Amino acid sequence: MTGVFLALLKGVPVALAVTGLAFLIGAVLGIPLVLMRRARSWLPRLIARIYIDVMRGIPPVVWLFIIFFGLGSGIIALSPFRAAVLGMGLISAAYLAEIYRGGFLTLPAGQNAAAVALGLTRLDTLRYVLAPQVLRVSVAPMATFLVSLLKDTTVASTIGVRDVMMLVTQQAQAAGGGFAPFIAAAVLYILLSIPVAVLARTMDARMRGRIAA
Amino acid sequence: MSEAQTPAGPPVVSLKKINIRYGNHHAVRDVSLDIARGEVVAMVGPSGAGKSTLLRAINMLETPSSGTLHVGDFTFSLDHRLSQKELLALRRSTGMVFQQFNLFPHMTVEKNISLPQMRVLGRSRAEADKVTARLLERVHLADKAKAYPARLSGGQQQRIAIARALALDPKVMLFDEPTSALDPELGLDVLEVMRELAADGMTMIVVTHEIAFAAEVADRVIVMADGEIIEQGPPDQVIRNPQLPRTQKFFRAILDRH
Repeated sequence: MTGVFLALLKGVPVALAVTGLAFLIGAVLGIPLVLMRRARSWLPRLIARIYIDVMRGIPPVVWLFIIFFGLGSGIIALSPFRAAVLGMGLISAAYLAEIYRGGFLTLPAGQNAAAVALGLTRLDTLRYVLAPQVLRVSVAPMATFLVSLLKDTTVASTIGVRDVMMLVTQQAQAAGGGFAPFIAAAVLYILLSIPVAVLARTMDARMRGRIAA
Repeated sequence: MSEAQTPAGPPVVSLKKINIRYGNHHAVRDVSLDIARGEVVAMVGPSGAGKSTLLRAINMLETPSSGTLHVGDFTFSLDHRLSQKELLALRRSTGMVFQQFNLFPHMTVEKNISLPQMRVLGRSRAEADKVTARLLERVHLADKAKAYPARLSGGQQQRIAIARALALDPKVMLFDEPTSALDPELGLDVLEVMRELAADGMTMIVVTHEIAFAAEVADRVIVMADGEIIEQGPPDQVIRNPQLPRTQKFFRAILDRH
């Protein structure tokens, strides 16, 4: 069991890299997406909405196959790793845009009115008044999403990324179908997700402590 | 406030035939109003009368469907949509204080007051902080510069909100029920600051239910009902000796409660 566990550790950096990079892409792309979702004119709103619904509707494994075998073979050559990062990043953008949108909805209407009445431009209102508050309330749901993304990226093994899951499958086959590798993987993922949850709770408590009395 | 008979000169705020509609609801009907420099106007009336809506139209937080709006150096016809630039110019001429204070909770008191100066007027941080310190002095909260709003009482937050609006050197201050969300005792400090502001010659429009404050501080009391100005004049005349039955009923109801 210990041997199996150590063997799986080799997959951890790749799993973390796919998760981290996809999350980063999503966190950045989620910003224009949520702004489009909240735009005054209908066209950007519609485009963002379609994107979000489509991305959340496709199972990640199907989406990775489309990116890797469809896009990757015909249009641009993508390594399995890059295809996984890109594919999971585009999905993350949809989820994170919705998390940001939820954050906007929690803000009292008076915040925007006050900024507008002071004569701040729309960009300044967003940058100095709304966005920092949205980010604060988004920390906890973003961390929850990060943990589920970490688990979801196990599908990257299906397109040949040598992550933890790939090693699990190999170990299981080598051991002749035992389930020990799967138990080891379960333990490993729990251990990986605990620090994220703890960090999220600490940050959340710190930011809330400042705003609440 | 004794010699506060409206001074001569062009009005600081001038509304001409302002109409505001929400779908079928005609919230403000053909209201015209001139406010002179240094004048303190109290707007009173039953809820739903359109007082706050009219006030919020002066800095275009509400969009009138027709009329002409003049504030400071700017005159806008409201028959067409105002450009972003026109809106910013208008809002830089007005300062607004809200019922719910609306301080930015993630910034210290100092930053709440300094940041708009830096972004809107282009002041340096040092200049802005100097103005902020002076204004905190003026609203009697000099020791709260580094505090976050959540640590302050409602009355303190509202005084900070007044300082934040004053920091941009507005031509007119708009108060939207500034003490309605406060315990009566906490409201006193806010009213005191507003009284001092009026004495310093600030042009002020105050939507309020504080009839005693209106009687004491206002140069003119405007009574609104159903989207129209139904009566206006010096407080002595309007509050003590209202002409219309509707106005008489309104003031009787308010005075009975005190």
